[in-house]
Amino acid sequence: MALANPMRPYLGRLVGVRNLATGIKLFQVELLEPEGKAAFADYQPGQFAFLSAFGAGEAPFGLASTPARGPYLEFAVNAIGHVTNTLHTLDVGDPVGVRGPLGRGFPMEQLRGRNIVIIGGGIGGAPLRPVIQTILDRREDYGHLTILWAARSPDLLIFTEEFDEWRSAWATEFHVTVDRGDERWRDNVGLITQLLEKVAPSPQNAVAITCGPPIMIHFVFLTLKKLGFSPDQMLTTLEARMHCGIGKCGRCNLGEKFICTDGPVFWQYEIAGFLEGFL
Amino acid sequence: MSVRRAIIHQLREEARRLLSERRVDCIIGYETGPRGRVRPAFLYEPAEADRLVWGPECVHNLTTYLHNKKKPRKRGEEPPRIGIVVKPCDSRTLNVLFAERQIERGRVYVIGIACEGVMGRDGQPAAKCRRCTDRVPLVYDLLLGEPPAVEPAPDDWSDLERVAAMAPAERLTFWLREFDRCIRCYACRQVCPGCYCPTCAFERDDGLWVDMGIEIPQKFVFHLGRAFHLAGRCVECDECERVCPMGLPLSLLNRCLVREIEALYGHRAGRAEALTPLLFELGPEGSPI
Amino acid sequence: MRFTTLDRLKAWLDRLAQEVDLVAPCDVDGHVLYRPVSSSEEVLLDYERPELPAKDYLFPATEVLLRIEQRGKDVALEEVLPDRRQVLFGIRPCDAHGLAAIDALFLHQAPPDRYYQHHRERTTLVGMACIRMWEGCFCTSMGGGPTDATYLDVLIRPGPEGFFLQPVTPRGVAVLEGLEVTEPKGEPLPVEEYNPPVPVTPTAKWRAMFEGNIWMRHGERCLSCRICTYVCPTCRCFDVADRVVDIRSGVTRIERIRAWDACTSPNYRRVAGGHNPRPTNWERLRNRFLCKFCYYPEDFGPLGCVGCGRCIVSCPVDIDITEVMRDVAQK
Repeated sequence: MALANPMRPYLGRLVGVRNLATGIKLFQVELLEPEGKAAFADYQPGQFAFLSAFGAGEAPFGLASTPARGPYLEFAVNAIGHVTNTLHTLDVGDPVGVRGPLGRGFPMEQLRGRNIVIIGGGIGGAPLRPVIQTILDRREDYGHLTILWAARSPDLLIFTEEFDEWRSAWATEFHVTVDRGDERWRDNVGLITQLLEKVAPSPQNAVAITCGPPIMIHFVFLTLKKLGFSPDQMLTTLEARMHCGIGKCGRCNLGEKFICTDGPVFWQYEIAGFLEGFL
Repeated sequence: MSVRRAIIHQLREEARRLLSERRVDCIIGYETGPRGRVRPAFLYEPAEADRLVWGPECVHNLTTYLHNKKKPRKRGEEPPRIGIVVKPCDSRTLNVLFAERQIERGRVYVIGIACEGVMGRDGQPAAKCRRCTDRVPLVYDLLLGEPPAVEPAPDDWSDLERVAAMAPAERLTFWLREFDRCIRCYACRQVCPGCYCPTCAFERDDGLWVDMGIEIPQKFVFHLGRAFHLAGRCVECDECERVCPMGLPLSLLNRCLVREIEALYGHRAGRAEALTPLLFELGPEGSPI
Repeated sequence: MRFTTLDRLKAWLDRLAQEVDLVAPCDVDGHVLYRPVSSSEEVLLDYERPELPAKDYLFPATEVLLRIEQRGKDVALEEVLPDRRQVLFGIRPCDAHGLAAIDALFLHQAPPDRYYQHHRERTTLVGMACIRMWEGCFCTSMGGGPTDATYLDVLIRPGPEGFFLQPVTPRGVAVLEGLEVTEPKGEPLPVEEYNPPVPVTPTAKWRAMFEGNIWMRHGERCLSCRICTYVCPTCRCFDVADRVVDIRSGVTRIERIRAWDACTSPNYRRVAGGHNPRPTNWERLRNRFLCKFCYYPEDFGPLGCVGCGRCIVSCPVDIDITEVMRDVAQK
């Protein structure tokens, strides 16, 4: 019965909770029911799921993990609303619910053999982590990997403890910037678009994948265009405060498109053709 | 030429002048729609001035639209200057919004109209007009029309008698029956010039005071809570009641509080540019009340 | 056509009220509304267009999706799908048409909405033809009409001395089984008055007008309330949240509910980060009109408007969908 109702979450338990950045925690979820485990056996980078904090409700999050790296689902959660603030009060052993996996993920098969440029801003880096992990785990399937990572300030950078793994991987370069540094910050200071212009990845056989605040996505696309990337070389994933994730509730429409079922991953040429913009 | 036609003529001339001299960027007034219904109108060009109308169908309190005009149309620009048509009752709203620092006096050009009263949905004089003591706006930059010869009728609160006569239990039953019809469309809140909170206390994601269900308990809390939030601020324009698609007698709630506040503090919202006596800062000495 | 008398119809309604949940037009403090009834005495048989559509009985304004019980770290979930049959009696043809539009998304677009589907399968629609078009109605322009039986299980047409019965579906035949029929007298009342037609423009033209200035012209006076969406027989947006029902001796009882939502409300499209891609009232109104005449038909087939006219009559600032339709057609 459970499987027949897409609004019913699978039961899960928190097996790990750690601070990722100021106001951002990473939640590791173990699914308890066989139906849930089966549903999440083979989810794709870029897909999303609803995470329930029972009593508060549920909210959609990009899955921040891959099935290849372990059986637990990971969600990076910024405490900014009711559900996310309630999630932040939970700890290991507490029950949660998970609904998904939902939406169209990144076309990882189609990206084989291509050079990949990852451009993540703030919490927007979370849905890009599974892309990085998938490439690093099947390194020979993909070309050169360039990672550009950014946040407003150093304390808001996520997955910092993984920077070394990314930096040291074969044929991989890693750059990081913050809008405003602090006294201990020794790396780049400036907007991610400035870093992008400085690093200037070649568009040759490349695909750029970005996620961040809407205004950042907009300017990253413009910068990529200047660097010679064409609309079929740019991917992003969009956000909305969805309530169903299955194309019914109406909340996430951009014109006739639904972010939940038509996306959340879109090529830039798709977005350019949308009647209604995301900005 | 009738008084009404004279006012319309003057109104259009004035609007044309204000827009062509760039004294204001937009004029908010009334026009007649294709179905013959009078409705709010927004004018930006002098050539549009002839759309403006005036008459007993001009029931809407247009000041609520000033909240949509606080931000500049383009980033970096100044917020727009607005010319707005107000009736005496609407002008009281301006006093409240000026006192609450919501609207800058210098950004609005107030076209006040001396008013003989407007009509309700039933074509009869609106309830608010039967108790109107003003007939001339309290705030204006330009006054159109002459103070009418109608006798101002003192407010005798007769509208409240039917609920006042009820025993508490009976009154509760009465209101629950009314709230049962409410569909929680928020039209009463949206039309209210005094309801401008960016996030309404009754529409919070965390459901702190009330959850999002469209059921009697939530509607009860919403309507009573809204009435309390307007205590000492409601100018009795009755717009909430007018727009309610389910015919709830919402002004009864507000008017009960209006009477209490007037009795306790001698304060009637909008008669002068003053804050509600229920809003104060708790200093070291505690409550000033 | 089958025929029955007022007495027989009332006897049948009284029996139905015993057997199923019977919903019918009632006079609720001077407002005509579809309400659950327990006797034919409460049922209006000569009435205007009810002020609210019938969708509330298939897509309730507030609906419990799940009951959640948490004991310590253990959670139990229970789906809430009450197993009751209902007959919606006296709904207007436009209301059935509206349900057909919702069906396109909630039934025919995979996956079906489990709750709506559950109610729909247990509902019989017994419609009552209109004897005139009411204020604002333009159903005849939207593929329906005052006597349109298409989306009903049974259509009843009033006559001078009784009611003419037209079963449309097997379910309609079944619901009429207990109704005693008799020799027809007279003819169904003709439709007294039709409203002028409204032009319906193909989706492509609405699409082409997205950037036009007509949206600000029609939408700047919009109050961003929810009247038009809640009185609409086809609007179906919803919100989902939890509410704690009680906490007692270590057990927290929670309901996951959904409630009607409206794309006209200011924060509808605001994203978690705070950005609102549809910040003004006129952009939100544009979305509502384009949903009805462009997005919904392109995505799911039917138009998102059946011409019931309720939004026109109930809008407090005279936003008139037919005025917009005429404007789009003329451009």
